Amino acid sequence: MKKVYIFLVGSLLITSACTTDLDQVPPNIAASGSLTEFDGVLNAAYFYQHGSATPMAVMGDFRADNALMEEEPYPAFDRFTMDLTAMEDQFFGPFYTALYKSILSANNVIENSEDDTQVGEAKFLRALSYFKLVQVFGDVTVNLSSEPSTTDTAFLARQSAGDVYNDVIIPDLQDAISLLDVEITNGRASQLAARGLLGKVYMHRGNFAGAEGQLAAVLDGAGAAELSLQENFADIFGEANDLNSEIIYATQISSSVVDEYGFSEFWSWSGGLDTKSLEPLDPDLIAAFDASPGDLRREVSIDTMLMASPKFPQSGGPDHDWIELRLGDVILLYAEAMNENGASAEDVLDVLDPIRERAGIAPLDHTVLNTQALVRQAIYDERRLELAFEGQRWFDLVRTGTVNSEMGEEINPNYHVFPIPISEILASGGIITQNPGY
Amino acid sequence: MILKMKLTIFAMLFISTAIFAQDSYTLSGTVASGEDNAPLPGVNVVNVNTSQGALTDFDGNFQLQVSNGDEVQFSYVGFVTQSVTATGQTSVNVLLAVDADQLDEVIVIGYGTRKKSHLTGAISSIDGGEVAAIQANRVDEALAGKLPGVLIQNQNGAPGADPKIQIRAASSINGNSNPLVVVDGYPISGSIATVNPNDIESIEVLKDAASAAIYGSRGANGVILITTKRGKDGTPQFSYNSYFSTSSRYQVDNVNPTSGEWAQTIETNIANGNWDVSEVDPALLQYRINAYRDSPDVVAVEDWLFRNGNSMNHDFSMSGGTEDVNYFASVGYQKTDGIAITQAFERANARLNLDAKLNDRFKTGISFNGFVSDRDIVGHDMRDLLRAYSVHPIYHTAASIAFVQQLDQQAQALGLDPFDNGFRGGSDAPWNNSIYTLEPGDTAQDWHYGRSGNGIGGSGDAGPATKLDNTDAYQKTFFGNINSYLEFNLIDGLDLRTVFGADLRDTQNYFYRGLEFDSRARSTQTALNQSDVKQTSLLSETTLNYAKQFGKHDISAVAGVEFQNIFFKGTALNGSNVPFGEIINFNLLDPADIATTERDETIARNSIFGRVNYAYDNRYLVSVSVRRDGDSRFGENNKYETFPALSLGWNIHNEAFYSSEVLNLLKLRFSIGSLGTTSDLGAYNSLSLLNPQSTLFGNGFLIPSDIANPNLTWQTNTETNYGVDLGFLRSRFRLGVDYYTSDIEDILINQSVSEVLGTTSIRLNSGDVRSSGLEFDLTANLIQNGNFTWSLGANLSTVETEITDLGGLDELPQTIYGQSGRGPVFRNYVGGEIGEMWGLETIGEVEMIHVEDPTRTVGATSGEYYVKDQNGDGVIDRTRTVEDGGDLVKIGQNTPDFYWGLNSQMNYKNFDLSFQLQGSHGAEVFNIDPLYWQSQFGGRLRDSFDANDDGIADHNGEFYARARDQTDAVIQDASFVALRNLTLGYTFNSDLTDKLGLNSLRIYFAGSNLLYLWSSDYTSFNPEGVETTNGGYLGPTTYGVQVGASPIVRSLTFGLNVNF
Repeated sequence: MKKVYIFLVGSLLITSACTTDLDQVPPNIAASGSLTEFDGVLNAAYFYQHGSATPMAVMGDFRADNALMEEEPYPAFDRFTMDLTAMEDQFFGPFYTALYKSILSANNVIENSEDDTQVGEAKFLRALSYFKLVQVFGDVTVNLSSEPSTTDTAFLARQSAGDVYNDVIIPDLQDAISLLDVEITNGRASQLAARGLLGKVYMHRGNFAGAEGQLAAVLDGAGAAELSLQENFADIFGEANDLNSEIIYATQISSSVVDEYGFSEFWSWSGGLDTKSLEPLDPDLIAAFDASPGDLRREVSIDTMLMASPKFPQSGGPDHDWIELRLGDVILLYAEAMNENGASAEDVLDVLDPIRERAGIAPLDHTVLNTQALVRQAIYDERRLELAFEGQRWFDLVRTGTVNSEMGEEINPNYHVFPIPISEILASGGIITQNPGY
Repeated sequence: MILKMKLTIFAMLFISTAIFAQDSYTLSGTVASGEDNAPLPGVNVVNVNTSQGALTDFDGNFQLQVSNGDEVQFSYVGFVTQSVTATGQTSVNVLLAVDADQLDEVIVIGYGTRKKSHLTGAISSIDGGEVAAIQANRVDEALAGKLPGVLIQNQNGAPGADPKIQIRAASSINGNSNPLVVVDGYPISGSIATVNPNDIESIEVLKDAASAAIYGSRGANGVILITTKRGKDGTPQFSYNSYFSTSSRYQVDNVNPTSGEWAQTIETNIANGNWDVSEVDPALLQYRINAYRDSPDVVAVEDWLFRNGNSMNHDFSMSGGTEDVNYFASVGYQKTDGIAITQAFERANARLNLDAKLNDRFKTGISFNGFVSDRDIVGHDMRDLLRAYSVHPIYHTAASIAFVQQLDQQAQALGLDPFDNGFRGGSDAPWNNSIYTLEPGDTAQDWHYGRSGNGIGGSGDAGPATKLDNTDAYQKTFFGNINSYLEFNLIDGLDLRTVFGADLRDTQNYFYRGLEFDSRARSTQTALNQSDVKQTSLLSETTLNYAKQFGKHDISAVAGVEFQNIFFKGTALNGSNVPFGEIINFNLLDPADIATTERDETIARNSIFGRVNYAYDNRYLVSVSVRRDGDSRFGENNKYETFPALSLGWNIHNEAFYSSEVLNLLKLRFSIGSLGTTSDLGAYNSLSLLNPQSTLFGNGFLIPSDIANPNLTWQTNTETNYGVDLGFLRSRFRLGVDYYTSDIEDILINQSVSEVLGTTSIRLNSGDVRSSGLEFDLTANLIQNGNFTWSLGANLSTVETEITDLGGLDELPQTIYGQSGRGPVFRNYVGGEIGEMWGLETIGEVEMIHVEDPTRTVGATSGEYYVKDQNGDGVIDRTRTVEDGGDLVKIGQNTPDFYWGLNSQMNYKNFDLSFQLQGSHGAEVFNIDPLYWQSQFGGRLRDSFDANDDGIADHNGEFYARARDQTDAVIQDASFVALRNLTLGYTFNSDLTDKLGLNSLRIYFAGSNLLYLWSSDYTSFNPEGVETTNGGYLGPTTYGVQVGASPIVRSLTFGLNVNF
């Protein structure tokens, strides 16, 4: 029987080759509850912004009169019908996903980090995310928690765009202004970025006094933050010029960092590199440049031979940053705010001088443009040429109420916003609703 | 060997003659099986009057001394004993009838064996001979249609791809349905394809819960037990099996037109007024028709992509042993070129099974099984390759170059864009980027022919040949399994057995896509990906087995413990911006362009289990088992679960009161048991983990893909099985009927959630699914006489499922699943089946007459259908059902109503003929392939069709919608009937094989899928192909979409089996 015991012991020893511990955790990945440092989470909040860049570019220019789609079903962007829902998988869906992920990451930093700068940056990113969401979808779900409830889904109900501005975007930007430094480091959010964005938000809200104050503060503080207009318009764009002195805030993009957006990038679209639109340039934009003879921005912005935009060229393509806010934009907004606040045409138009001078064209004459309305239109026109293919045009049209007049057609206001991804409506069991008209 | 046998016979003869009286004489003859006419060696031949006996030799021959009037008895296990009276005849040939009562096969069950007559559960069994006779490349192919309750489908015809195996109803809403595969008692990691078909002794499929419950949480998808061959005492037996086959796609006719055919279609339709081209510039129209018609050297995309494949297979084995040591060893090699270009599969495998008896009480053994395989995969989405238009050759000829240049000139003369336009992306591309510098032999790209606006090239892509030439995808697998056992006989009937083993599966995936793939030379479209994951599993199992018969009591019991660890360790490199060049190497990439991910996971399981089987007088049968499993994957509050089972059987035919000659076998079975499944759980699904991601600011922690759930628990599947076995006319006809119900509680669900939560779905235990099914299994020995035998097997199975509870919800969130959202709305609601497809009801296709320019792309259709506004509210609402005020109706369902198999085996003299039919009926697919092929860009409707863009056709007031967007227009019947296999074999006579020194020699011809019928409604290549790999696939809840499935493969095989 001895052998039996030896045998039994032997088999038990072999058994011990296996671990019996059922509490397994991965050795190389952190668990959510275990974090004490939140810089990694903040980095993710920045990272997720990538996914919003291309949809923003396509919505901003292809929905407006700057660019056209060619191949069905993409021309849905150029029609104002419910057809546009077909584009959700490539544009609205990833856009929505990316921004709510950025928001969740930002919420985590805001809730848990004790570092003021981190919290400030997180608030900026959260405000930026909601600002983009509101511009695109109108009313949206608001989530301010890092661990939203999976069972109580009532919070998913969309809140009015006004409430989102007043309760989230504006307070977050105000907090960011107080928490962040003026200095811009390494492309991160800064105090001036928050101020500039707040100015832009106020413009969207029609709060021109507030806007003028914030935008003036950006222009005043520009020197301290080493911000200045590029001498040469072309030097603002493209990989080689990323993070140049005119950039207040850009979502940084590198081909080395694979983002979650799996389709053609924004520069492919404007450059006519996607087969869905090989010649995207809208003749309407050519006409706009034709109306500004000698404009140096023309060569940089449009190529009428190729019928595309060379602004973000293919060479170095994947690395072009997505400019969210630059000094030229702030100057134009500031002028617009001054005009709305009743400043004299002369004062307003003076603000535009550096922009026009850089473009190689004469300053605007306040004796010709001698009414608020004329100045307003001049600024709108200037914005279009200055910011073509930077994802701004459509949102400017909606903001300024000039959709019908500029597009030259009667467009149902339902189509001023884009369709909510249908998967959201299904997954929330109808708590999240579709925009009317889609 | 032959000499030895002759000596034996001589010796027997000698002994016999020495003993018997002079008036006796020698009776000789042959004994063969009445079932298949095969000679039976080792049959006991006894002269009852003298008690002298002999055994038949290898060829079934015997000689025995008899006297007139002696009774000679022939007996052999599993056959009816037969007597012959000596009446002076010197020779007698005897056919022994198979005795179904006596033939008490031993069936392998989990952790043991049981007599077939004592079985109480639902177990299907198939012996290795049947697998080998079919000579399929893979075990699962040989099984298709053979087993009731087991549905095997080829979702992908590519060589080396695993089919879908589903046993009974889906046990899980989300996970895969792959059954647990246990080889010689060892649960292996990986599919059944790890086993060489030639090595198989028998396969048993445990279908009901009571049979599988001994595997507890791993048993819910059913268990396939494979017993491999082991050596038997005696001289070495060698076996060589080889075959060569050639294959092609089943459907020979191309589905899509070439440009020349399209030119004719255009002219016919314009002439007969079906098409209205009044809005097309006549010059453009003529230009285009001419181009379609005149394009030279056109090769149809299907003719280029599909080819004849071939396969060869060699397999060599030897087995044998002494009293103390037995062995079985085999090596095999297989090489296949698939029917699509670049598809290939190559594999070499080896097995060694060694068993040794150390002394009267100790036994030990070791098994090794391993293979290396290399699978070449079509490196690009087949859907995209097939949607290219057949307008050009694969490689340019002088004629095609001249043609495109001329065409471009014509286009420009018409004021259209030059073809080179738009391809400036290639201006710094290191290859030809103008159609004016083409050379014969360059790949013909779609854009060389213009685009749909200015030419006939369609998308302006690089074209399918260039795409495939610039991609490379393969998978290499190394698999090895070693396991050993020690067995100690403690006391009579009680054995202690311990098994220890490990397997390693190393999977390497490689994918490359070069710059030239993209006609615009965007480096972001390039990729160089390589991953290597090692999956190691360690298993230790110790069992006590007891088996004893006391009078009428037959008892067996097993108790044991089992520990298993599974480790995943690996890295993946994903490179982007791959430089153009001949040499493709990670070293040439910018280090920043290489993203590295690391996988390091451990799963630990431990289990304790026991079972008692008891049979009284072969009449009353009971089996009770219980298993308790612990598994690291579950939430910290629910690591353990217990799975009990009970089963009962009653052999009524063994009762004293029972007497029926007709119905000689009557057995009732009942079982109930509970099972679990872990198939859809990853190692750390109960934890919320921050996956690292490199960002421009350093390491980032992503949003967790799982939300922490410490209560994540086992779903338990309680199954009840009622069965009856009937045998008629001495069991010449046998019928088994099983009915089961299965009730899954706390079902694990991937529930779609709003992306506001940072993930698309969360894993919950909520809900209850009930399913039931009926299975029939009929075998018939139709004809049994000396020269001719014919047996038939038939089976039929039905499955029904119903969601009975969803943890308080009426319905899971609906999901649209399909390629780029082109799928149906999948609904899973209380009272419905799993994965119902819902969508809009169409009422006819929008006629071509409404297409503004029907000539624009090859094969164009309108791609639009009139849809029904169900509730007449003037709005088409795809988000709600008709009941809820929307317009969604049920449009399809992928579960078949029933499926069946029919198997026939005939032997006539030296010939054998067998076939295997499989059918499945009532399943549907959402098949968007035809749409991709024909109207991917949709024939644009003329503006007057819907002048105010309100979604309503102006001419008839009907709503219309794109067919692919949740409509029933692309739902197709996926029913099929397939002649899976037809084999004709010839076994050479022994006098010939003896001369060659062989024991047996058989040659055969076989064909697979020689006949494959599908519904006329179905318009692609493979009704069995269902897409499950796109992002967003959630399991059976979203099953039924078809995109780019590889075609059904038809093959012809010639092979031989040699034993020596």
